[in-house]
Amino acid sequence: MMSAYYAGLLADVGILLLGGLSVYIILATGQLSLGNAGFMGIGAYMTSYLTVIAGLPITLALIVTAVVSGAIGLVVGFPALRLKGIYLAMATLGFGEMVRSFFLNLGAMGGSEGFHGMHHISLGYIWTWAAAILLLIVVLERSRVWLDMRAVRDDETAAGLVGLNATTIKVGAFGFGAAVAAISGGLFAHHHVYIEPGNFSFERSIDFVLAVILGGSTVGPGALIGAVLLVMLPEYLRFLAEWRFAAFGALLVAMLLVRRQGLLDRASLRVFALRRTA
Amino acid sequence: MAGSSPAMKGGLPNAGVYRLPFPVGYRGETIHVLAQQLVNGLTLGAVYTLIALSFSLVMGILGVLNLAITELFMLGGYFGFAVIMAHLPLPLALAAGMAGAAIVAIVIEKLGYQPFRTAPLVTPMLSTLGFSIILQNIATNVWGSDPLQLTDEVLAQRYTLGGVSVSAMQLTVMGATIVLVAALAFVVQRTSMGRALRAVAENRDVARLLGVSASRITLIAFMLSGALAGAAGVLIGLHYAAITPYIGVEIGLKAIAVMVIGGTTQIWGALIAGPLIGVLEVMTVAYGGSQVRDFVVYGFMILILLLRPQGLLGGSRSDQGQRV
Amino acid sequence: MTSHWNKALWAAGLGAALTVGAALLPVRAQTAEIALGAIVPSSGPFAEWGRANTVTLQMLEKQVNDGGGINGAKLHIVILDDATKPAQATNDLRKLSGDDHVLAVAGPLTSSAAEVTFPVANEMKTVATSQASSKPGVAKLNRPWAFRNTIDEGVLGRTAVPYFKKAFNIKTVAIIFDAKDATAATVGGKIMPALMKENGIEVVNATDPLSFNTGDLDVSAQVTKMKALNPDGVVVSADYSQAVTVLREMKRQGMIKPVIGSTQLISSAILKAAPEIPIIAPATFYATMKGDKPEKFVAALQPLLRKTSGLPPEIEPSMYDANIYEIASIYIAAIKASGVTGKPENLEADRTKIRDYMAKLEGFPGLGGPIGFNDDGDAIKAFYVLQGQNGTWDSKVRGCSAAPGHPGC
Repeated sequence: MMSAYYAGLLADVGILLLGGLSVYIILATGQLSLGNAGFMGIGAYMTSYLTVIAGLPITLALIVTAVVSGAIGLVVGFPALRLKGIYLAMATLGFGEMVRSFFLNLGAMGGSEGFHGMHHISLGYIWTWAAAILLLIVVLERSRVWLDMRAVRDDETAAGLVGLNATTIKVGAFGFGAAVAAISGGLFAHHHVYIEPGNFSFERSIDFVLAVILGGSTVGPGALIGAVLLVMLPEYLRFLAEWRFAAFGALLVAMLLVRRQGLLDRASLRVFALRRTA
Repeated sequence: MAGSSPAMKGGLPNAGVYRLPFPVGYRGETIHVLAQQLVNGLTLGAVYTLIALSFSLVMGILGVLNLAITELFMLGGYFGFAVIMAHLPLPLALAAGMAGAAIVAIVIEKLGYQPFRTAPLVTPMLSTLGFSIILQNIATNVWGSDPLQLTDEVLAQRYTLGGVSVSAMQLTVMGATIVLVAALAFVVQRTSMGRALRAVAENRDVARLLGVSASRITLIAFMLSGALAGAAGVLIGLHYAAITPYIGVEIGLKAIAVMVIGGTTQIWGALIAGPLIGVLEVMTVAYGGSQVRDFVVYGFMILILLLRPQGLLGGSRSDQGQRV
Repeated sequence: MTSHWNKALWAAGLGAALTVGAALLPVRAQTAEIALGAIVPSSGPFAEWGRANTVTLQMLEKQVNDGGGINGAKLHIVILDDATKPAQATNDLRKLSGDDHVLAVAGPLTSSAAEVTFPVANEMKTVATSQASSKPGVAKLNRPWAFRNTIDEGVLGRTAVPYFKKAFNIKTVAIIFDAKDATAATVGGKIMPALMKENGIEVVNATDPLSFNTGDLDVSAQVTKMKALNPDGVVVSADYSQAVTVLREMKRQGMIKPVIGSTQLISSAILKAAPEIPIIAPATFYATMKGDKPEKFVAALQPLLRKTSGLPPEIEPSMYDANIYEIASIYIAAIKASGVTGKPENLEADRTKIRDYMAKLEGFPGLGGPIGFNDDGDAIKAFYVLQGQNGTWDSKVRGCSAAPGHPGC
């Protein structure tokens, strides 16, 4: 029987993994999104509304929410096409803040008082979703779809010349990422059984990005390593008491210095594969 | 009648039946409330301008979003407080804040930017985030998390011009902002160092070929940016007379919005955008309702990004962001 | 180069796997000592409260152990930091309850943390009592294992507002609140307007709520607006560190009007913001309280607080220090009275005994008077309406939060 403490931490890892993956998907096309907490918030509130007020079962609620959030992601993806690099990042930052402000004012879902009533879900349920989506992405990474995405990221003009529709790919990535972030939000809401707008701030968006960059920004499982790091490190650093966060910040910088592509990259995974066939 | 709502004071008939979006009263009263709000907005705008400039110095020249600037702002404030509480004069506080923040900025440049010069832009951004976390923790441990307050406000004398009240400190903040911006513009446009800064911004490799020491220039950019943030911290900390280790957080995000709206690489853009957003925010609160304020400001930022990404004062070519 | 790195990576991965494996092992047996837990914010915006709470609990632990422990067994209080992040507070409770096998938990401090931690307390069947959460209904939703040694702000306001009205002849107020803070928004948006109506005071900005966000430096627009409405008094519903911003702006714009708020205003920092503005707020304890118990408490705790690095040299014991001291003391009394043994095999039964003791608690000798708990899990205790002016808090009215059907204070 697993210690409840580690179970709780693993639940956090699963939820953060999905958030990281949502950033990873969009990043794979060369777009940095600093506002995915907004999609997570949409997922959390919509799923909670569906289970608590509309009485839907959780799995159905998550699917519906993912579809709706994906649609919103597609809508966001279109204007995002006009922006590049850090400008896109700032626009997504603004988007995330606007979503948070929206929920703060949404009295029907509690506003700043937050929203209650969700039923609790198990660790197994969270990880079923997390593992399934991770697996999906790992499979997609070996497919043509991901190759197209990387092509668009590396050189959009060349990709266009080869016949790829950069618009579809980039907008589609936003939609897919938004859907995954929404699932993360729905699981979050039913794990903590209480949500408030403050849960979906810029800090959360940055956590997602951190998980991907630290864990490995070029491969899907990188988000898993990053999520484990971000959840477990503050726990292991408890012995430092009031210097805990300074140490965390220092470790963050150190990790980036030592290995800037993140802990995992394609070479690491390839080594694993070679060992298996050898 | 004391405490009666302004709607009842005269003016339009049936004023209680429909709700007008502004306080109805004697004409003069409405105008001077409006003017007072304008002054509020301009002061807030000066705050935004300084921090936006600080972001834009590093962003424009190096393309990096330095997330530690908000903590340099906060540290500048604490250094300034320390000087004032030791009963030393204001110019010394300003110098201490600027120097202190600039020194910390140098450390961040050496450890948090230099090693990542060739990395995708998200990496130095996250490394500055790491520094931001460290600085906040240090500040909390050194000064405590409770607000540190000045017992006597600095330059507190108020002047009333036509019903509008403004304090000497507010005038100092606005004046200092204009001076600092002008000084920065002078440095960038007219000095050789400024030319070098602009050269590196344009094309780092060519600049190096032409003999510009790119690493020295980035150091200078960080220092200037730090000094500006530190100055903002001192001025604003002293104006509001209360400071916590977390004052940088909210204001930083808004300052990024201001930078974008003014035009990331345009110094004068920040000077225009700062007061513009400050006034917009204040007017939204005054006449639209406090809750939608963030919505309006970020919405405006997104609108500018979509319609005119080079910012209000940006050049005709829209800045192509580097690959992230 | 890459292969070295990859080897190191897989070694690290193995290490992580081993850690997870260790987590899956059954936790080792405990020695029979009495373990209590506490969740406090030792880092983040409320770091000072958390660190002061820590000193308070360590003082109590020492006092109890010097006095022979509890039925001979040593008391050990495990204190965990939640960094003011609700998710960490839930993990803290799981650790304290599941791994450290504590008999009961004091904390968490904030209502945001309590909202997500109390359900976990019910899941882990361990009593959790918050020392500061006052957002209405938080414990009520999470019976039977959640308690709060605080009083619902609505109950407190019912005594504070009439005093405010009488003392300053208030006929109209303007309300400003922190929209990002759940408790402040509830008090400013629902509780205070209702109380004003009950007392015949007109809210001049009823159709136009004035608010700001936690962390805002500038509230000049809001205060200018309030000033133009010219109310007799102002309701400032926000945590004291934000309220300082509002008060200073009021002073700056020459708006010297009496202010009323919730327990969130109680602090020494707010007295420095605008000493000439009278502030009315309710509290269950204040450092200059008269009486044998409170005076002894302050005399013992204050020097310890002032010696602690990281805390300001003029610090005084706060209401939250008193509350957490009482919570731990109640747990100890529960342990003594219900025959709790502290043996690992009796853990579940012991925790249930503590819960039942607390649910039935009446007249426990707290620092400000007798304490009990009502059906919602909130405290029945005495409280005081304080007036803060010119640097000190003075008690003006004594009230009691007993509801009909429960014994009073």
